[in-house]
This record gives sequence, C-alpha cells and structure tokens, in this order.
Amino acid sequence: MIGDFKLIIIDENLCKGCHLCLFMCYKNVYAISPEVNKKGVQLPFVKFEERCTKCGTCEVACPDQAITVDLPENWWMNEDVNFNPLFTRHGK
Amino acid sequence: MSENKNRFLPYLREDRLPHIFCPGCGNGAIINAFLAAMEKADMDFDNIAMVSGIGCSSRIPGYLKCDSLHTTHGRALSFATGLKTANKDLDVVVFTGDGDAASIGGNHLIHAARRNINLTVICINNNIYGMTGGQISPTSPKGSFATTAPYGNLDTPFKLAELVAAAGASYSARWTTVQMENLVLSIKAGLKNKGFSFIEVATQCPTYFGRKNKLKTPTAMAAVMKANTVFKSAADRMSARELEGKIVVGEFANTQKDEFTENLERISVEKSGKKTLINSAYSTEL
Repeated sequence: MIGDFKLIIIDENLCKGCHLCLFMCYKNVYAISPEVNKKGVQLPFVKFEERCTKCGTCEVACPDQAITVDLPENWWMNEDVNFNPLFTRHGK
Repeated sequence: MSENKNRFLPYLREDRLPHIFCPGCGNGAIINAFLAAMEKADMDFDNIAMVSGIGCSSRIPGYLKCDSLHTTHGRALSFATGLKTANKDLDVVVFTGDGDAASIGGNHLIHAARRNINLTVICINNNIYGMTGGQISPTSPKGSFATTAPYGNLDTPFKLAELVAAAGASYSARWTTVQMENLVLSIKAGLKNKGFSFIEVATQCPTYFGRKNKLKTPTAMAAVMKANTVFKSAADRMSARELEGKIVVGEFANTQKDEFTENLERISVEKSGKKTLINSAYSTEL
C-alpha cells in the first residue's frame, strides 16, 4: 500500500452488517471489527489484503452495494471471460 | 478504476439508498447480479422496462434508474404481457417473489410460459411471505416453521423451475444467491434468449424464515443453503429419499420455440398487410 490507496473500500453509510462478505470470500480476506459504529453495526474490515485475488465476488454478493474492489476497468464486459483475468494469475 | 466508486451505483437511485431490505436479505445481491448480467449481455439500460407486483422482491425496480411499473398483487406477468405486446422492441424484465408468482399469480405464470412470450422473469424465492409477517408460502419446504405453521408445514412445496419448464418455457433455471457466477451467467442467457425465460433464485430471509427455523444470522442461512445445494446432473442419479430437503440447481429447459409477439406480427402482416394493428395510427409520423 502506497499513500491512501486502498484495494477494497467499504462504505460505512451503506453497510448494514450482515457479514455475508466474510462467508462469500474464498480467501478469508475480511474480519469483523470489535467496535460498533454510530448505527450499531459491527463493520467488516480488510484484515488480510495480501490474500485478495481480485475475483470480485464480494462486490457482487454484497446486498447493500457497500464494497468496492479496485478491479481493472470493465473486465466483466468481455464475452469469453467469465471471471477476472487476474484471478488465475497469482498476484504479487 | 481511479475514482473508486461501486460499479453498480450509477444504475441505482442513490438518494434512496440504503435500501429498505433487511440486513442479509438476498434481494440486494440479485440487483447486483442482474446489473452485471445486463452489462455482460450488452443490453441498453434505457430500453429496459421493469415490471413488479407486490412483495419484498417487487420493491427492486423502485431502486433502479429505468422505466418501471409497480402493479397489483400477482398480476405483474399480465401487465408485462400487455406491455410487450404493445411495444415488442422493449426488453421487459419482471421481478417477482414466490408469493406473487406461485400463489396468487400461478395461472398467469403458467400461461405466460405456455405462450412463450419474450419476457425475462426473475423469481426471488425466499420460501416465506416476508412482507406481511412470515406466513407459509407455496414454496415453503416441508417441515419448516412459520407464523401460520407453528407445528411445521405439512404440504409439499412447488418446484417452480420444473413447473415452468413443463408449462413450455424455452429457458428455465434455478440458482441460489451463494452461486453468484452461475447466477450472473444464467440471467445473461435468459436476457439473450428469445422466448419466456424464467430464473428462480433461492434466497435467504434471515428476518422471518431464519428466525422461525433457528437460522437467525444471514451467514447461517447461506451456509445451510450452500450445504443443501445439489446440481441437476448429480440429482438425476439420486433417489427421491436422498433429495428430500435439497435444492436442485441447474438449467431445466433451454430450447428454441415460436415466440408470441413474432407470431402476432406475422399474422398481422399476413392478414392486413401494411395496415398493422400497432403502427397504422402512427404511420404518418414514422
């Protein structure tokens, strides 16, 4: 991580704390924070960013549109690619 | 992406967010899956008209920035049929729940499937009437508890995807919200298919179904759903006893058939020539 660049951003105003991202993530990137925010929600946070393969499943599976993953531009538009092309390549 | 914004937010009415659905409800994930499938199928978002009935799932078109029609209970498919017949260039998508499609609108569903009219129906099956307080729905599994079934449900549930495939739809599939990649590809196939496309999505309802059935958290419901999922190719080799309480996922119909609006157009040209039913009034303007 350089400066304030973040791979995964969680919107605190939209998240309702269902913790489905913890269940859906294949690589267990997320963890639950012990503190409660002003809405009474225990927000998930990114604990193991180096495990992330940018598959983008959490972004689609988040019911509240709160998760943003820094994916390459429009990878899902390709006809023959069903998954993120970076998913198979082992990153960094 | 440099500005770092969720890729589904441009399609949503952001002033209405966060939406009304309970924490962990699958409806929000299905909005994402539909939008991803729509982008994958190269569809024009301005050409889509959404129709919905009454229910939790039928609130979805209210959060999307496209033309939508919120209709009476169970009659979403009738309104959609009229809309599609009047203007066959529109891409009509119907969001409906299990109470909407299977109980009060059951006949509309099977007759729309029989006619094979070019609609995409996404049926969000949460196994219970969530909006009115947790009553038993026609798709509640046998033995599940609800407000109106304190000793467990005694009836056998509807198998909607098989029902619609038997009624004559050209595309019918069932997936759950834990199989996101398959769901996106299935909705894409349904949008591209010419004919009646029915996609049943089994979702979690932690607030009513989960609370009555000892699965209070969304994660518990999703884990149980994932454990109970059987693919169709594996289910063909299993006995009826082994399949008890399982969710069979896969494609149940994928065929090509005559389509309703094309038949109507053909007969209209055949019988009245240029003076067709729809365009004769506007022929000077066009």
